[in-house]
Parts: sequence; structure tokens; C-alpha cells
Amino acid sequence: MLFFSYFKDLVGREVTVELKNDLAIRGTLHSVDQYLNIKLENTRVVDQDKYPHMLSVRNCFIRGSVVRYVQLPPEGVDIELLHDATRREARGG
Amino acid sequence: MVLGVREIRCSGQPVLDSENREELMQVQPGIDIVLGNLPPESPGTLYITTKQVIWVSDVDKTGGYAVDFLSISLHAVSRDPEAYPVPCLYTQIDTEVADDDHSDSESNHIQQDLSNVTEMRLIPSDPSQLDTLFAIFCQCAELNPEPNDEEGEENDWVFSADQMVDEEAEDEGYISHNPANSIGHSNGNNDLARTILELQINDRRFEDAEEMEDNEDGTRH
Repeated sequence: MLFFSYFKDLVGREVTVELKNDLAIRGTLHSVDQYLNIKLENTRVVDQDKYPHMLSVRNCFIRGSVVRYVQLPPEGVDIELLHDATRREARGG
Repeated sequence: MVLGVREIRCSGQPVLDSENREELMQVQPGIDIVLGNLPPESPGTLYITTKQVIWVSDVDKTGGYAVDFLSISLHAVSRDPEAYPVPCLYTQIDTEVADDDHSDSESNHIQQDLSNVTEMRLIPSDPSQLDTLFAIFCQCAELNPEPNDEEGEENDWVFSADQMVDEEAEDEGYISHNPANSIGHSNGNNDLARTILELQINDRRFEDAEEMEDNEDGTRH
């Protein structure tokens, strides 16, 4: 649940979602659910030469299980907050 | 579970798996389907259920295609004519082609064609239906989380506090634990510790044997 609440705080920001099939999509985070399914808006594919047909889709739903990485905006990462949250999670609290 | 697109036979409306509580969410007539790079097939009717998407041809009402929501990695509304000439719902399909058996698909040509399909486009005759379709696909995707999620977490690199206590007890005497570093501690380190231990045992045996030989040599001469 840590990542779910963390991603919820990033709604409205620009993120890059890298899928397990190597496709990377950049867009504004519209929403995220408990399965870490991700909805992006105003998306564009990072490597457009490789995936020309994905050029621009207005909105995009990505299944949580196919996500490899989510690249976050540096200003959206509160390291102190993450530290505390991960410690608390590790203690099982 | 079968990943990817599969061909189905039915008579008119597809039969749902009501035993597993599969329910019809939406019926959308006037939908063309494009599988991968195959030519479009049209027209047809789309049946969206709580488990899968089924497209039945209007021409040949006994045939069509089905794909589970579990296999749909991504879906998006495509309106850019450069991406595709007509507005459509674009989907990416997860297949198991990369992993295993080509022998199976070789024996069945229909299966072979479909198992390579990693993209599916659904083209409504009325483009204004696209946003509704997108929303229903989102809704249904959320109804179908990964079935083995809990299992996966057990084997994951994230350990619970209980598991760590157990491991420390097991490893006691082999490696000294720094409690501050225990979060990053994984199975890999344990295996390494065991390997080193085994190596040391082997070394000692080897030394012993040499010593024995030396002694024997010594007594002989």
C-alpha cells in the first residue's frame, strides 16, 4: 500500500512509465488504483522511432502488472517522507 | 489461463461463464476489429464482460475472437490520424509466444497467427463511443487483478518482519548481522555464505588428505 499512497500524491505530475516490453510512455499521471494500474493523459512514447503508431494517444490505461519502472519527477520525490514510510513499512507497522 | 487473442466459435451471443460469475457489461454493435497487422474485419459486435472482450462477426455470426482482460496490458484512445487513419481503441496484448512452445502453434495454423498478435484495434462506426469504451475497459481491468498477486508477494524480495527474525536465527554463527542493514539483506547473501562455508569444508578435507599422504610418505622412507 506504500506505493499506492505514494503514487496518489503524484497525480497531476509528469511521469514516465516503462513497461516490461520496453515501451516507455511519458504523460501526466491521471490516476492510480490499488493494483497500481496507471492512467496517463497527454501521453507520448519516449522512443517514437521504434513505436511510430503509438505517436500520440490522448489517454492511456496501463495494467499495473506490466509496469517495470515509473520514473518520477525529481521535485515530486520527498526523500525524508519516503525514508520514514519505508522504515515504518519494514517494521510491519 | 490462455494469454493472448483466441479464436472462438459461438452461435450468436457468446456463452458466459456464469459459474465463475462472468457478467455482461456492455454490448457494442458496429465495431471493426484489427488484429496486429492483419486486415480489418468488419462489421461485428463487441461483447464486453467482466472477464473478457469478445468480438463476434456480423457476417459469420458463429465466429469471432476473444481476449481476457488479464492479457490486455494497455489500452488507449487513438485519434491521431498519423498513428492510425481512423479513431480507434488501441490495445496491447500480452502473449506467451516469447516463452514457450512453438511446436504447438505449428500444428495449428489458426493458433499460430493469433499467438503472434500483440496489438488489437477496435474501431467503432461512431467515434463518439470511444470514450465510453475506454472507460468500460478501465473498469473491467480493475475487476481483473493478477490472480497470483499474493503468491508473488510471498516470494518477493520484500520480507516481512517475521521472516527476517527466522532468517537471522537460521544464519546465526555463519555471518554477523548488522541490524541497520537488515532491510537490504536478501537470499543471495545467504547462498553466498553457504557457498563459502562449503568451500572451507572442502579445503579442510583436502588439507587433511594431503597431511595423511605426507605422513604415509614419511613412514615409508
